[in-house]
Amino acid sequence: MADEQGTDREKVLVCDGIRRWFGGLQALKGITIGIERGEIYGLVGPNGSGKTTLVNAITGFYPPQEGTITFNDQILNDRKPYRVAQLGIARTFQNVALFHGMSVLENILLGRHIYMKPSALSSLFYWWWAQSEEVAHRAKAEEIIDLLQLESVRDEPVDVIPLGVQKRVELARALCAEPSCLILDEPMAGMNQEEKEYMVRFILDAQEALGLTILLIEHHLDVVTAICERVLVLNNGEKIAEGPAREAMSDPAVVAAYVGKKDDAA
Amino acid sequence: MFYRLSGVHHTRYETARQIWPVPTDRRVVYILLALALAAPLYLPDLYLSSYVLPWLVWSAAALSLTLLMGIAGQLHFGFAAVMAIGAYSSIHLARAGVPFELALIGAGVITAVIGTLFGAAALRVKGLYLVMATLAMQYLVDWVIINVPAISGGAQATLNTPEVSFLFMPLSGTGLYYGALLWAVIVTVFVLNIKRTSFGRALVAIRDKDYAAAVIGVNPFKYKLLAFFTASFLGGISGAVLAFCYYQAVTPEQFGFNVSIQLVAMVLVGGLGSVIGAYLGAGFVLLAPMFLTNAVAYLAVWGVLPLSSSLLAHIPLMVYGLLIVGFILFEPLGLAKIYDNIRKYFLVWPFRHTQS
Ligand SMILES: Nc1ncnc2c1ncn2[C@@H]1O[C@H](COP(=O)(O)OP(=O)(O)O)[C@@H](O)[C@H]1O
Ligand SMILES: [Mg+2]
Repeated sequence: MADEQGTDREKVLVCDGIRRWFGGLQALKGITIGIERGEIYGLVGPNGSGKTTLVNAITGFYPPQEGTITFNDQILNDRKPYRVAQLGIARTFQNVALFHGMSVLENILLGRHIYMKPSALSSLFYWWWAQSEEVAHRAKAEEIIDLLQLESVRDEPVDVIPLGVQKRVELARALCAEPSCLILDEPMAGMNQEEKEYMVRFILDAQEALGLTILLIEHHLDVVTAICERVLVLNNGEKIAEGPAREAMSDPAVVAAYVGKKDDAA
Repeated sequence: MFYRLSGVHHTRYETARQIWPVPTDRRVVYILLALALAAPLYLPDLYLSSYVLPWLVWSAAALSLTLLMGIAGQLHFGFAAVMAIGAYSSIHLARAGVPFELALIGAGVITAVIGTLFGAAALRVKGLYLVMATLAMQYLVDWVIINVPAISGGAQATLNTPEVSFLFMPLSGTGLYYGALLWAVIVTVFVLNIKRTSFGRALVAIRDKDYAAAVIGVNPFKYKLLAFFTASFLGGISGAVLAFCYYQAVTPEQFGFNVSIQLVAMVLVGGLGSVIGAYLGAGFVLLAPMFLTNAVAYLAVWGVLPLSSSLLAHIPLMVYGLLIVGFILFEPLGLAKIYDNIRKYFLVWPFRHTQS
């Protein structure tokens, strides 16, 4: 399939023949993908086609029972989620997963966790052992707050802000970890046109500012065709098309899978 | 009004990150500290040693438990056993000639290690099962203390605390009060600092959503264990301070199951995870039964409550239980939330709108 420019670029995240069963149900049926450095790779497909499951396999929540996943030539299969994060893979969740007991700022600061040295002892001797570290990482968090225009809600508890802003906070928390690879699971679900356009802007800005490789799951096919270089279309855990966004989306198999949803694909 | 936010602008992250960024709060804390330091000058000895002193130590213990239950979200229904380990270890260390300062730290470490071992076992289960696992710790520790004379101190099962000195001052008289105060201040500052640093944020993260914590690189199991370790360390020393500064002789019953429930009540009534709540909750749980007993006795004398004496004895306990249930139902954030509402009222006075 369309792979013209793909051959000379380095593959960062590679899944090879991934299979995952849930009981008797095979949610992923031998998926193979290679995401290249710096691209925005789209992952689309009807509900229940296995998109989230693939992300959960990559990030260590539901490791695949067959196949290998490598990131920068390191095998991810047996890594726990927190060890996947330490390699520089960040993700957001389809259902917003913020920490509700904390403010927006504290949520974003948690993105710095892997760079900090949290310990009870340094908390006890805060003024000598923790303050300068906290202040330095606060500065980094403020950069991200700036980038995603979250200044006005910085000190709000996360559960009082609108859902659209919560999704932005989750993106900010992921970006704060300065990942090299970012996985976004339906970041625009439930947003109106304006919020969607803002989110697209933020994602593109972040990609440019941090040089990210992005795996984007999205139902809004207009967004996918607009910003993804390549897409993979899943249906029932199987790859039904892959390639440059516009071509893949017009593949007959894809159109068939999306029948009844075609008006979405503007 | 003196309680103002307007005009308070932080221009450096250091000042914005202060424990009390509002100047008035800071002043209130200084005044309270001064009052506490001067307490022996104006409070009768009886009040100081039988009300204020135990209140301070129990507040420190409640703070240790709220670190585990409120901040890290791990239930513990055997925290009195944690304090017992600290109390007995410190006494045996001090009796063996270890300097008191080191005996305290040693007791904290021993308690932390044992508490973490139980925690590691308990963490294999969740929710109500965690409650049962920590209850098991309570009964196991009780049993060991009672059945091993070398620990409990022989036939009468009372163990007197030896004479000790702390930082070259003999621990007696008002020294006992200052010892308790110092410990309460240390634990308070410690917990406040935990809440504003990466360690505390990681603990809150695993409490709120452990999968979301993992995805940003927090190892949930490790931080749960660290929460057990730190809380047990503080709880152990609190037990030791209680033994040396207040009881001066320990028996196993002082750290029984009912005490564990009282500790949980302190944390819940005060407000989960709240520092001021630990003080309010401890005060409430210590004082409420006393007030209730007096009130009921008073009513009985006047013939308002013509009840049998055995029922009379149980009324305070019942009211006390009802109050706890009431708090959990109607103000789950505890006394700390009531305090917070009052504070916010003054913060925006003369306007009526508060944020929450
Ligand atoms: N934890 C799980 N346990 C059982 N079945 C699951 C689990 N996660 C996903 N599935 C199943 O796998 C299939 C793919 O789901 P998912 O990856 O969430 O789809 P998508 O994200 O594309 O909408 C669905 O049939 C779903 O029911
Ligand atoms: Mg999904």
